[in-house]
Amino acid sequence: MLLLLIIIIPLISSALSLLIQKKYLNPLGIIAAVSSFSEMLITFFIGKDVVEFGVYSFTSYLSVDSIGLVLMAILAISNFAASWYSGSYLKAEMKKEIIGFTRMKQYFTLLHLFIFAMFLAIITTNPIIMWISIEATTLSTAFLISFYNKPASMEAAWKYLIINSVGLLLGFFGTILFLYPVIASGNNEIINWHTLMSGASSFDPFIAKIAFIFILIGYGTKVGLAPMHTWLPDAHSKAPAPISALFSGVLLNVAFLAVLRFKSVIDISIGKSFSQELFIFFGVLSIVIAAFIIFIQKNYKRLLAYHSIEHMGIITLGFGFGGIASFAALLHLIYHSLAKSALFLLAGNIILKYSSTKMENVKGMIKTLPVTSVLFFIGFLALAGVPPFGIFVTEFTILSTGFQINPVITIIVLLSLVLVVAGIIKHVSEMIFGEPAQGISKGEAGINTVFPIVILIAILIFISFFIPAEMQSILHFATLNY
Amino acid sequence: MISGSPQILFFIVSMILGSVIFMHLSKRISTIIFFYFFQSVIVSGLLLDLSIEKASLFLILTAIATFAIKAVIAPYFFRRLIRRHQLNFSTSTYLNGPLTLVVLTLLTAFSYSHFFKPLCILAIENEKALLISVAMIFISLFLIINKKGAISQMIGILSLENAIVTFAYIAGLESGPALQIGILFDILVWVIIATVFASMLFKKFGSLDVNEMKNLKED
Repeated sequence: MLLLLIIIIPLISSALSLLIQKKYLNPLGIIAAVSSFSEMLITFFIGKDVVEFGVYSFTSYLSVDSIGLVLMAILAISNFAASWYSGSYLKAEMKKEIIGFTRMKQYFTLLHLFIFAMFLAIITTNPIIMWISIEATTLSTAFLISFYNKPASMEAAWKYLIINSVGLLLGFFGTILFLYPVIASGNNEIINWHTLMSGASSFDPFIAKIAFIFILIGYGTKVGLAPMHTWLPDAHSKAPAPISALFSGVLLNVAFLAVLRFKSVIDISIGKSFSQELFIFFGVLSIVIAAFIIFIQKNYKRLLAYHSIEHMGIITLGFGFGGIASFAALLHLIYHSLAKSALFLLAGNIILKYSSTKMENVKGMIKTLPVTSVLFFIGFLALAGVPPFGIFVTEFTILSTGFQINPVITIIVLLSLVLVVAGIIKHVSEMIFGEPAQGISKGEAGINTVFPIVILIAILIFISFFIPAEMQSILHFATLNY
Repeated sequence: MISGSPQILFFIVSMILGSVIFMHLSKRISTIIFFYFFQSVIVSGLLLDLSIEKASLFLILTAIATFAIKAVIAPYFFRRLIRRHQLNFSTSTYLNGPLTLVVLTLLTAFSYSHFFKPLCILAIENEKALLISVAMIFISLFLIINKKGAISQMIGILSLENAIVTFAYIAGLESGPALQIGILFDILVWVIIATVFASMLFKKFGSLDVNEMKNLKED
């Protein structure tokens, strides 16, 4: 029942947001905050059951297992922070006459639909419904990328729509091929992940390989893996900051969940080595390409976007190495999600203050935005893998596993990570220190544009030092097959 | 019924392939829309044939919905877009005509190569038709890449979807009718959103040539 509720709430919230009239501005933000808080509570109760019983199901159509719970929790927390932040952020933009009320209403209506699609993609047991849901995330967010109605944002939205639609159609082709063993066996029951796995051993090896390649390229486009990543920096840099936070912190991971689900099936069919080799290839390519672009980047939102490509590469690489590296990769996914959501929201504070996404226009943040700059620095240190943050441990674990499997590749990755750290220190120190331009006022936009970010950073720091036993158990079960 | 007759199926699928090839060679957007309509009518016909074979009312409704969305609504939206912005001019390509034909030949040959031969176990009696549908997938993908016009790209995506549906029909890998309705709804929403976007792009850039969009490079 709770699973049904978690997809109904965003739908109702979307409809309510659509009905709000101009004279009632605050309810849009309140609906979003209440809705996201309810979703977080529901996730908590579902989580309790998953910890106890291993799975939580509602009929045979909706179900949450350990890995699904990890994704649900990430979505619920990031959504709560982004929704809370959105109200104040958009009001500040309205005050600056960047947007009007209609845009604000459109934003919240689409935001809830986006959240609905992501929850459905995570909890559905059917691979076709998962495909429909992930395609729905593209459709619900295209107008959020073109939100500011500028030529560059229109272009980014078009690129996003076309590239992701093509990618997802290729993923759809792969999904159809995955149905083959179940349909060939005459199994007429509803197709779900369980039946796919049951029929996996009779999967023809060639078709299995072709199917997985299409899945990896198709959903990999949405994950942002190189070389299919080209839509990602444009879309992330043009969308409103809270949407970018949800893109980077959640959407990429939801698409990655689809890849992992199919990986479990193909690993039963033809063994782990085929999918692992592909994961290592795309993982390394994403890290190396992103590392070079991060170093020469001039736009801080694009910097964050390329950083996401790099981190999705690290996560993919971890699952490619397998074993303990998979555990580390899933933990890395959580850390990255929290840190990146926080950083994109902080980027929103910087945009509100400096009205620019170019790093050359952002100087002396420590004087103009003291809280934001401290949080920004902490977030970047965490993402760079500096100890004592959790990402240091996860990267160390993935790389040490990698040294045993393929030392050459691991050294290439290590060098790329050094380049990323150098790039980050260079860019972030230039933004934080120095003298701000004349006319830039001092002070944060308000408590509501800071507090949600503080919560994300606090959770990140907490689980960097202490992982509760329940969470360890969930992570362990979630990565058992990988 | 049709799938039981390899020669008829081969002929029908060849016609769908022909429609994608003509989309490549056509210069007028209205002609490309017509070939998409033609292709969609055949695909709907295949689904109708399947529904009659399985004697399923739900599948008949799915076939009718496919026809309504792909052969009526989508072409209507595209034609309205053309009329509103007077876009009935020729669509340019990155490669010229002869080179495009060379690439189409290579893609078809690649689909018929030893590499994809093992896929034929999905439809042993209809292996030629199956490989043609694989060629359709690649040629539709190439349509999206090669055409500079936004409407042509949109039709390329829809043609790719038709190619995948044709493949699934030949291989007997159709999902259930409820899921097909879900997919069709997705396509309908996609068509509406994409045409609205195309209209917005025209207002912003004064053209639907994607080469005119250079703002991201300058940003």
